[in-house]
Amino acid sequence: MTQATPTLSRARYALGPWARTAGLTVCALLTLGPVAWTVSTSLRTPAESFDLPPQIVPTHPGTAAYHGVFEQIDVWLLALNSTLVTALIAAGQMVTAGLAGYAFARLDFRFKKPLFALVLATMMVPLQVTIVPVFLVLKSMGLTDTLLGLIVPAFPTAFGTFLMRQYFLGMPKDLGEAAMLDGAGPWRIFRSVYAPLARPGLAIVGVLAFNYHWNEFFRPLILETSGRNYTLPLGLVSLQGNLGTGSVSVVLAGVVLSMLPAVAVFVVGQRPLREGITSAGVNR
Amino acid sequence: MTDTRISPARPRTASPAARAVRPGPRERGTRLLAAVFLAPTVVGIVVFTVVPIVGSVVLSLFHWNVIDPPGFAGAANYREAFGDSTVLVSFRNTLVFMVFAVAAQLLIALALALTLNGRMPAWLRSVFRSAFFFPLVLSAASISVVMKYLFNQDFGVVNWLIGLFGIAPVPWLTSEHGAMATVVIVYVWQQFGFSFLLFVGGLNNIPKEIHEAAALDGATGPRKHLAITLPLLSPTLLVASVVGIINALQVFEQPYVLTDGGPGDSTRTVVMVIYEKAFEQLRFGEASAVGVLLFVLIMAVTALQFRLSRRFVHYQ
Amino acid sequence: MTDSLYSRRALLRYGAYGAGAAALAGTAASWDRLTGADIPGRDDGSLVVATLGSAFAPAGVRALVDGFRRLHPGIKVRINAVQAVDWSDFFAKILTQIAAGTAPDLVYVATEGVQLFARHLGVPLDRWVRRDAAELREYFADVHPSLVESMMYEGSLYQLPIEFNAADMYLNTRVLRRAGADFPAGDWTRDDFTALLRRMKKASDSHFTPYFWTNRLWGGVVPWLFANGTNLLAESKAPGGSWLWDAFYPADRRQGRGGGFRWTTPQATDDLVVEAYDYLAALVRDGLCTRPEGGNGQNLIGVFSTGRVGVTPAGGFWAGGLHLAGMRADGFDVQYFPRRHTQRHQFGAAGYALLRTSKKQDAAWEFIKYSARRDTLSKLFTTNQTTPARRSMLTEDRYRETGPAHWRVFYDTLDRFPDTGPIPAPPQVAEVTQVLLKHTGTALSSPGSVGPALRRMQDDLEKAMERDV
Repeated sequence: MTQATPTLSRARYALGPWARTAGLTVCALLTLGPVAWTVSTSLRTPAESFDLPPQIVPTHPGTAAYHGVFEQIDVWLLALNSTLVTALIAAGQMVTAGLAGYAFARLDFRFKKPLFALVLATMMVPLQVTIVPVFLVLKSMGLTDTLLGLIVPAFPTAFGTFLMRQYFLGMPKDLGEAAMLDGAGPWRIFRSVYAPLARPGLAIVGVLAFNYHWNEFFRPLILETSGRNYTLPLGLVSLQGNLGTGSVSVVLAGVVLSMLPAVAVFVVGQRPLREGITSAGVNR
Repeated sequence: MTDTRISPARPRTASPAARAVRPGPRERGTRLLAAVFLAPTVVGIVVFTVVPIVGSVVLSLFHWNVIDPPGFAGAANYREAFGDSTVLVSFRNTLVFMVFAVAAQLLIALALALTLNGRMPAWLRSVFRSAFFFPLVLSAASISVVMKYLFNQDFGVVNWLIGLFGIAPVPWLTSEHGAMATVVIVYVWQQFGFSFLLFVGGLNNIPKEIHEAAALDGATGPRKHLAITLPLLSPTLLVASVVGIINALQVFEQPYVLTDGGPGDSTRTVVMVIYEKAFEQLRFGEASAVGVLLFVLIMAVTALQFRLSRRFVHYQ
Repeated sequence: MTDSLYSRRALLRYGAYGAGAAALAGTAASWDRLTGADIPGRDDGSLVVATLGSAFAPAGVRALVDGFRRLHPGIKVRINAVQAVDWSDFFAKILTQIAAGTAPDLVYVATEGVQLFARHLGVPLDRWVRRDAAELREYFADVHPSLVESMMYEGSLYQLPIEFNAADMYLNTRVLRRAGADFPAGDWTRDDFTALLRRMKKASDSHFTPYFWTNRLWGGVVPWLFANGTNLLAESKAPGGSWLWDAFYPADRRQGRGGGFRWTTPQATDDLVVEAYDYLAALVRDGLCTRPEGGNGQNLIGVFSTGRVGVTPAGGFWAGGLHLAGMRADGFDVQYFPRRHTQRHQFGAAGYALLRTSKKQDAAWEFIKYSARRDTLSKLFTTNQTTPARRSMLTEDRYRETGPAHWRVFYDTLDRFPDTGPIPAPPQVAEVTQVLLKHTGTALSSPGSVGPALRRMQDDLEKAMERDV
């Protein structure tokens, strides 16, 4: 699918293909090494965790640590909460970013530039600064200690909006103009011409939202009070035990378990993700 | 792939055509549509970001420990912040971190993207691409816990690994330079995949004919990249560096878990200081003041980038 | 090609519609979950108890609630096990709730926060303790006065301690055997300790460091200061408290007790403090000791249980931790911290603090009393991941499975060294801790930096203590 077409210049590229592949392989191993270590450590007893040289393939593999995770925390409830929160945030961001991105890219209205700057500026505010005021706002809406309280504030997304704007800017303008000449109004142009082309872009917004919010810790920590509202990252904390006395293997097994859905989404979403990102970096 | 044709030339603002038409139902329709489309984002941002920011700015003018009612402080919190060596050091650390982290992130990502752009079976390319993107799906906090094991000076895998090459153990987490280096490494390890994908996309969008023309002119290898590829990639570089810098200036989890800001203050970042002042020391006013300063810094850096970009970024 | 593409598209579209419908249905079905409406007993005027989530196992928390319900069917209680990684996360959560006026009634607070809570948020328990003195006699008889005293502030009692951990020395018995060394005696000195480290080092390879420690307030550099007979902040005792001592403790055990600790003037440049740092710096220089890492010491269990470390300071909480890590009961043992000028030990304790803002203070007191009962604690502390504050709970039976052989050391630390005291935690504890960790890190990160680092520590401590928090 991608442009692997060899050209004259590429064939004469200084590095030979073998050297290139070898270099990339080393980089890939360095990238995946820590992940492999995490997985393999979760499959051993803690006493074997710190062997040097590290044993990537466990000598006595066992799933005891995984049983430990399920015994100690209500994985299913936590996963349900995390899924609800993350899926709804992802869906919500796809809607808000798709619409706002289109408006910024293709519609003409007053205060466009300052509004866009405002959206971008929200990326620049650290969460730790605004969490107390956010909590107060949610309290006035009766949304503290609910999953909705985690979800709704995460609907607007600066980066997603930015991405979708780039995405729509990258689409040929003649399509819309042709539709306009055919008498289509602004809504029809959006609905019939551009929206159908936006799917890969929306997929990337969704996948990025999933990645980020699946792993989120600080907001759930502050906003959720009842144990039944905890998300996975919160639940995993109790595996660490009092004063860090929990089993290392169990802690890492929890990390691996919580990683699985993110990996699944990554695998499923990888192609649209790639295609979406392809266009985000171009234009202005 | 069929959906994502990119047309190279594109005017800066949208639809001058719409403006050419005299004001009428169409223009009103457009405005109405824009209002409806923007409403969810703008309302959300106003309620959950602008109001809290205004709250923080107001709070930065008060002494408040959460427990007792706030008392007006005027500029005292800002004076306090400027007089606090920890705050100043944290700004320096954050900037140092930002420079190294963003530079490393962009260079590694660019090098890998260019290398991957060469001839190679499609499946292999796909494997590499997945590998480089993978750390991005992990939680920064969990992975920092793992990295803390790996970078332990006496028992960690990293020192064992470099020991194989005859390098003496490095005090990664327990010396000032080592700690900063470790935080940068762990951060870049997780983040470079994002810039990498941006560059892969940017490279894919460079028309093949340009390479071929360059090759006919005799440009090859690194020279070709410098002279031709980079200018064409400059819009992508801008996006990657803007997002990279905004994120790097807000780094928190990695130093918090890996070093807790130490040894000394050597890895204490601005957001860590904000967190500590607010939630550990109950000085919410001062924490807000530092937050406002950080916000101003990020805005200034970003504005500067866009200004510089006018000179260096080439649009096709 | 076009055909298959078309059908794939159609498939995708129907798939997307299906997914959308499923998502809508799912959202509707889980509306109660999203709004928290399915949580029983929410906003029903329950007594709310906030605990640090990782402190108690979930099963223990359930037992805690069920037991209380049986005892007091009229009082509804809800436990919020806050899933914070550390004390400051926990505190961030509680503070936000306080700011929003949704604070819990009771908060589980460790020594670090006792005085901060007492000063700003807490209610003294004195009147209830007096009222229910008869009922509490058995509790106080079972709990060492040092623990109780650490929960007092300016003459009043703010919490009933239910767990504690003193900083004793853990030794890996395999490493001891490898070095051909005997298990140290209880009255060993710092020189004995150093000699043992040298011996261990000699008998081991390069991936071994005899002594490992974490740079933190509990179990970091402070035990060495205590052994030198000094402290980071000049220590004195508040007057008062005799109302409690006279009522519950016999004359020989209440002697010298006061109304809680006062930590005031910083003394980081004190000769004895400097000496303790010089000692640690020398250990680092000779490769007998790791440079202290910041943080929660999660590495520690792994490196100790695999014999890559021989000795480390820890409390009763570690018996369960090492057991979970797969260490056999005879794989490790515990001894007192070595003596230098004194053998005073350091501990941290925890219990429930009652918040001033609570509207259910009487009910809350019932919970406090209930939580300190022997049967309650037995259900809560099943895995030896802490030391119960009640002496009678430390039994042969409790430590049979986990070890260590010298489990008596955990509580005898308090009896044998009655001046054993809490980590220095004035209301300014957050800044004091940060300053301590920061400059300890620099003092030991390179040779010759102890002096300058301690001078800066002194300056920063003075600034921190001036602040009225």
